[in-house]
Amino acid sequence: MLLDNLPHSDPGDPVLTTPGRFLLWIGRQQKKLLALGVIWGVVWMVGQALIPGALGAGIQAISDEDEAKALRWAGVVLVLGVVQAGAGLVRHRYAVANWVTAGTRVQQLLIRRATHLGADLPKQVATGEVVAASANDVERIGNALDILPRMVGAIIAFFVVAAILIASNATLGLIVLVGVPLLSLAVAPLVRPLERREREQRIHLGLTQELAADTVAGLRVLRGIGGEDLFLARFQAESKKVQAAAVRTAHIRALLDAMQVFLPGLFVVIVTWLGARLALQGELTVGQLVAFYGYTAFLVLPLRTVTEAAHKFTAARVAAARVITVMTLERMFDEGSEATAPPPTSTAGEITDPQTGLVVAPGQLTAIVTNDPDASEVLIDRLGRYRESNVSLDGTLVEDLPLLTVRERVLVQDKDPMILSGAAEDLFDIPRTGRIAVADALASASALDVVDALPDGLATDLPERGRSLSGGQRQRLALARSLVADPEVLILDEPTSAVDAHTEARIGLGLRDARSGRTTVVFTTSPLLLEHVDVVAFLKDGRIQATGQHRQLLRENADYRRTVTRGEDE
Amino acid sequence: MKPPESLAQTEKSTEGKLPVASPESVRRYVVTLLRRNRGIFFALVGLNAVAAAASIVGPQVLGSIVEKIGQGADNAYVNKVALIFLVALLVQTVFTRWARIRGAVLGESILADLREDFLTRVVALPPGVVERAGTGDLVTRTTTDVDRLSWAVRLAVPEIAIALVTATLVFAALIFTAPILALSWLFAVPVIGVVTRWYFKRAPYAYRHEMSSYAAVNSGIAETVDAGRTVEAYRLGDARVRRTDNAIKRWISWERYTLYLRTIFFPSIEISYVLPLAAVLGLGGWLYIDGQVSLAQVTAAVLYTQMLIEPVDIILMWYDELQVGQASMARLIGVHDVPDPVTDGTHEPQSSDLHVNDVRYGYREGRDVLHGVSMDIEPGDRVAIVGPSGAGKSTLGRLLAGLHAPRTGTIDMGGVTLATMPTEKVRRHVALVTQEHHVFIGTLRDNLLLARPDSSDTQLWEALGSVDAAEWAQTLPQGLLTELGTGRHKLTSAQAQQLALARLVLADPHTLVLDEATSLLDPRAARHLEQSLAAVLEGRTVIAIAHRLMTAHDAKRVVVVEDGKITESGSHDELVTAGGAYAALWRSWRDED
Repeated sequence: MLLDNLPHSDPGDPVLTTPGRFLLWIGRQQKKLLALGVIWGVVWMVGQALIPGALGAGIQAISDEDEAKALRWAGVVLVLGVVQAGAGLVRHRYAVANWVTAGTRVQQLLIRRATHLGADLPKQVATGEVVAASANDVERIGNALDILPRMVGAIIAFFVVAAILIASNATLGLIVLVGVPLLSLAVAPLVRPLERREREQRIHLGLTQELAADTVAGLRVLRGIGGEDLFLARFQAESKKVQAAAVRTAHIRALLDAMQVFLPGLFVVIVTWLGARLALQGELTVGQLVAFYGYTAFLVLPLRTVTEAAHKFTAARVAAARVITVMTLERMFDEGSEATAPPPTSTAGEITDPQTGLVVAPGQLTAIVTNDPDASEVLIDRLGRYRESNVSLDGTLVEDLPLLTVRERVLVQDKDPMILSGAAEDLFDIPRTGRIAVADALASASALDVVDALPDGLATDLPERGRSLSGGQRQRLALARSLVADPEVLILDEPTSAVDAHTEARIGLGLRDARSGRTTVVFTTSPLLLEHVDVVAFLKDGRIQATGQHRQLLRENADYRRTVTRGEDE
Repeated sequence: MKPPESLAQTEKSTEGKLPVASPESVRRYVVTLLRRNRGIFFALVGLNAVAAAASIVGPQVLGSIVEKIGQGADNAYVNKVALIFLVALLVQTVFTRWARIRGAVLGESILADLREDFLTRVVALPPGVVERAGTGDLVTRTTTDVDRLSWAVRLAVPEIAIALVTATLVFAALIFTAPILALSWLFAVPVIGVVTRWYFKRAPYAYRHEMSSYAAVNSGIAETVDAGRTVEAYRLGDARVRRTDNAIKRWISWERYTLYLRTIFFPSIEISYVLPLAAVLGLGGWLYIDGQVSLAQVTAAVLYTQMLIEPVDIILMWYDELQVGQASMARLIGVHDVPDPVTDGTHEPQSSDLHVNDVRYGYREGRDVLHGVSMDIEPGDRVAIVGPSGAGKSTLGRLLAGLHAPRTGTIDMGGVTLATMPTEKVRRHVALVTQEHHVFIGTLRDNLLLARPDSSDTQLWEALGSVDAAEWAQTLPQGLLTELGTGRHKLTSAQAQQLALARLVLADPHTLVLDEATSLLDPRAARHLEQSLAAVLEGRTVIAIAHRLMTAHDAKRVVVVEDGKITESGSHDELVTAGGAYAALWRSWRDED
């Protein structure tokens, strides 16, 4: 059955040099579907093309007062109609299949690229841009593949009709054969300005959508504190620009539409006029005249299909260009490859950072205390290789390791970890060692009560960003997720900042337990957590100033004391 | 073929979801729109009618030529009718262009109204509704539905409108030419009727699901982009790809079902078009030979019958798109169906004291989160609400900020029930800042001005200074004019939180509810910020939902919430002396010093 093989098991490796080549590549991937679409498109169009001939013959028979013949031609019309209907259906089914096959391929390519770019993607493009690519542009590319077979059918039907016309009357036939392509060309000068105006319109539309989506995304803030009018006014101004741009586009399109009425119409007039004169001279029968009229009227359809196709190909090229923009984004730094990487000398998880002087002993729970949030953010990104970094992992520079290896060995849990929508249990559907069971991780992260509070437990669907949960609940689920992943090195950024003191103390114990034998670095200033770590490193002015036990540092280092007691002594 | 399993069945509940307008509301809305634009609308119908009328000249011309050829017409006659034909064509061309332009002007103006009306309504939604429904659904409506509706208004509506006018005129011409031959359409009408009914009974449901399953594919992709860093860190790439592929699979199953519907519908309709054509030919031949109709009549009737196919077909085919547009429209104007809470803006709170009286509240029916909370907050109070996660602290905060109305019990501010005050009024008195922050696309200045549009730059810098943010703000490439937000200059989460607090300082309500408002700052900075804030907020009531004990220590009064109830209340020293749960917690923290 059609569409059975979707989604594609592998969307393939696209050609991204130009929009045109990209579209060609898409077409090549579904050659067979396109070919079948073309065949049925031809049968359908030709079936349709033959009807005027049958009608003309019928009128001729009536004019000759031959009743049996007239009825016979009525029968032929019926049969042609039925054939055309059947072929039309099959053609439509292939058209849909072509649309969907191309559309899914683009979607699959986009998601694969998006996951490849990972952390870099939000930095390089707005989410709206990718959403627009995945929603609107997919449709436009699909439309191009949908119309391609119909266009081929239209061209072939045109030649069939031309042959019939030449056979009935060479002069008239030649006029049609030469005239119609000329008429198609006459519309061509309008296509480019239309394309340009459409592009302008799309730029405005994109901006309007971005503003609207942004306003809606920040709605809580607006409703909580005000400023709706400000943002509404801005949106309205943009919306008016879209309106103006769309009307400008419509002017050209209206001209195009009018030309599609006028040019073929003019042709029908000419053919009718010449045909009638020929009929007067006895060179054309009445039936042939009616058929000629019908044929030229029919030729509107192929003509329109071809211009529609030109239109859709243009839109598809614009869409393809946007898809290519997303598809050709690169990671901001070199990923390294397996081949050039030295084999790991050990996998103990020792971290050394010459820049800050940080040394994290393997298998220990280390806390880093700092009062400079920017410094901790930078250090975390360097430890996790989210930016340029001269940090070494077990004696090898993380920059020399393939990025995938770093991600596998070192897990960074952000300050504000993202909970993706879906069932709560899907949170734990991540690459993991299997050493830590979900239930144990939930217990260690003091998150069992979070799950208990969910209406369907772990099967509960969570909304995007886990919005139905409180900040503390989100943090504990996220911590459980990191524990389940059980990486060699786990880096936690303020993992308990939204958790109450009581729970925080429990988490300190649980964390220690779950991470025993593994390297864990936790950025925190909470005494309740610091109490449970093996060693504390105090980062100030970009350097590790002191290392030791929490209580020892409290006693010996005044700066440290001030940081963890939040200036209480000041 | 049966429709695939509905996604709606896997959606656990629709509670809290935003409404979708009923077909009647959509119809009413469309009628209102048309009435508002009555003039242009009728002009449009007129323009299209002229264009269509000009198009029916052709068959008449050919019919009379066919007739007259046998009766010895000459070239002069042929030239004359051909000229008439040409003039008719010119009229049709000019009016088509004119109608299309006027149509686009009307369509675009309606579209602009629609998307502006939509956003105008959205930014005025009751905060409680937004809180419950989440912004994801709204974002989809803002982007996808607006886009689909635009498509329908730009293409489907004019196509159908023109086709309706054309079909009416052509059919009228057919009846006028040969009423008896017009009867041939009786063969087609029942078939079209039955099949159309069958199809459109199933189609809206199927297309709705096809659409939502398609939207699910895109929102999955969007979420993956949004959570790029998390996806990368947890190596979720493959899982996200799998998820998208599964979403595609679900979408395809709906795509296949709608294709099945069309597989029945399309050929039945197309065959029903041929029936009258064959009938006109057969019947016309018989009647002509019988001497009842002229050859001109038969010829014109055949051509009109053929001409009718196109507009009828356009109506049926675009009806699909119209339905898609209608579904999107239902979702867009659905937001107008969100009931506004009954509010009364006449009473002005006499003071800023808050009385919470036996308040119960829950997000789900029968599952209260707060079980009878009562407390009084005096003007200028510094209250810290502490308690374990999930105890109901945040919920209490939302109620105090007037986001939700209590299920039972009351919250009064200065003698006025908070729940009866309009949002715009409530927030002049009380504002809530949570951990969730949003940096808008726009300049830093825009991001601040929203709180107080008439602020001067000096005031903006003062506000930034009072939340310790002036320093980093000064280092921004273009200062206040730096473009922020997605795809622009990115603030750290701590900076974003400071920005949120700076807005609060500008808005300057007399009561502030801070729910983990400084949690993304490092503790030392947080405490410094809280202290500089405190200086600015001198005399204001501050209710801080705190998970850090130092915040509680700094407060004048500590309220301990456990399991939806207030279990302890008093100053820090009082509670420590009382030796309850708070004291125990405090000791476990202090003892380590």
